[in-house]
Amino acid sequence: MENNFYLAWSPDSKIQEMGSSGGAVTSLLKFALENKMVDAVLAVKKRNNSRFDAVPALITDPDLVHEAAGAMHFAPLNMVKIIKEYLDGAMDMRVAVTCKPCDARAFIELAKRNQVHRENLFLIGLNCSGTFLPTVAEQMIREAYGENPQDLAGEEVDGGKLIITLKDGSTREKDLEELARQGFEMRENCLRCSYKIPRMADIACGKWGNKGNAATFIEICSSKGHEFLEAAVQGGALVMETATDEQIEERKRKETEAVENAQAREKKELDELKGYSSQQRLEYWVGHLNRCIKCFGCRDACPICFCKECYLEPYRGCIPGGETPPDIMFQLIRLSHVADSCVNCGQCQDVCPMEIPLTRLYNFLNREVADIFEYEPGVDINQPPPLTTVTDQELFIDPPDIIYEDASAR
Amino acid sequence: MSNDFDPKILAFLCNWCSYAGADLAGVSRMQYPPNIRVIRLMCTGRIDPIFIINALTRGVDGVLIAGCHPGECHYGKGNLYTRRRVLMTKKLLECIGIEPERLHLAWVAASEGPKFAEVVKEFTEETKNLGPNPLATLTREEKGK
Ligand code: SF4
Ligand code: SF4
Ligand code: SF4
Ligand code: FES
Repeated sequence: MENNFYLAWSPDSKIQEMGSSGGAVTSLLKFALENKMVDAVLAVKKRNNSRFDAVPALITDPDLVHEAAGAMHFAPLNMVKIIKEYLDGAMDMRVAVTCKPCDARAFIELAKRNQVHRENLFLIGLNCSGTFLPTVAEQMIREAYGENPQDLAGEEVDGGKLIITLKDGSTREKDLEELARQGFEMRENCLRCSYKIPRMADIACGKWGNKGNAATFIEICSSKGHEFLEAAVQGGALVMETATDEQIEERKRKETEAVENAQAREKKELDELKGYSSQQRLEYWVGHLNRCIKCFGCRDACPICFCKECYLEPYRGCIPGGETPPDIMFQLIRLSHVADSCVNCGQCQDVCPMEIPLTRLYNFLNREVADIFEYEPGVDINQPPPLTTVTDQELFIDPPDIIYEDASAR
Repeated sequence: MSNDFDPKILAFLCNWCSYAGADLAGVSRMQYPPNIRVIRLMCTGRIDPIFIINALTRGVDGVLIAGCHPGECHYGKGNLYTRRRVLMTKKLLECIGIEPERLHLAWVAASEGPKFAEVVKEFTEETKNLGPNPLATLTREEKGK
């Protein structure tokens, strides 16, 4: 079996300094552009040099790739909507995209629904241990760390700690649990997310298992990933060496720990909701949803909501126009539309001006639906969406409440 | 109290099987509760989960869907898509706090007049026991709808 685990870094010392973890991703992107393996790179870039304000950048000049270098934990964006909405789903453009696991999963869900052209995308997955809302992060740096947010030069999450680097090169670290007690938590969808390594992308890059900060640990997840890396190594743009068993183990250990934490958190939250009586649960959700001011932010930010003719528009005749809070159907329609496909990316909740815990609602249903249909959204591009497929086998199953022959054997 | 309660039930019936089954129950003079209001569809595959949720938010106490048995849908697999959608919609209802039992899917062939009467009887009884649909009161009363 071929080895899929490598450590990689840039041979260019300038890039090494600018990027994180040896600048492997930056070098790879630059090489891909220079050699016309892609037409453009879509990555995240700081605006006004602030680590709390990220904007997507479509880069076509190889010499500008470095502008997007480095990880951003305080400004979570979703790249999927941009490809779908403004780049025609990459129908006639080959784009390399850096993506968190939730972005990668949303790409897979949209590709299944013919909204993005997977063949034209080179997905560079970045491992993710979670992100903070910019507003929360800014306040946290000021109050919990006692530093000026403008002095922030970098941040990373490792071993249950949030480590920040200041412009003078010094670092400060704090326990995530301690920060949470002070009211500074990651986005709640991140706390629940158990996809820490984006194996649905073409390659998955991260720090876990690297030696110190000098290299990027890369797992190759597809033949396209293989092809790009091989070309970059041969072209002298990347140095790669096979990861040692020890390094692979170390990475695995960190992943398992993070995944277990996330699963425990998800279980706790969902159990809490399940513990409510129906009446309590209804009051809980109606109470939240009645605060909605119908700004359409959740729909517009959601990568999964892609319809040109949306049911929520008054002319469709479902939701009367000019009313706030909108008819309860407003959220229930959206809920039913993302029931099988929500990837828990958190965008809807991030943009909601009324701070309605939308991802908790969508994620709760999505977990249940995933169980029934044995369907994990955004993982396997060959697994068809469960609400728009049926199998021949189901023709021979009579009971109206099961779709598998032996429900208990699952 | 629940015994006095007269639930409103919306039934979506497939033209080819259950609607004919209902007809047969009628001409055979079988007794079943008069609580259902019927919408006839060419196939249960036409049902969008939104129809169900919308009916419930608009004050219906239960939704019954009846269609052809698997393998007998006139359009191949319309009923199978619906079975999947109903499974999802029941979870959706449960997750927002509506008893999933307010939604019921049954297969009733054109020849199954007695079964149709039985399904309606049982579902009406069950809905009666659940009591009035809380979603309608919670979401609309205060808005005066
Ligand atoms: S519903 Fe919210 S969490 Fe789910 S995919 Fe859409 S934006 Fe992301
Ligand atoms: S709410 Fe439904 S109809 Fe509207 S964009 Fe989202 S998926 Fe499409
Ligand atoms: S973002 Fe929030 S306030 Fe805006 S429409 Fe969605 S739920 Fe309502
Ligand atoms: S024709 Fe009866 S369910 Fe499809």
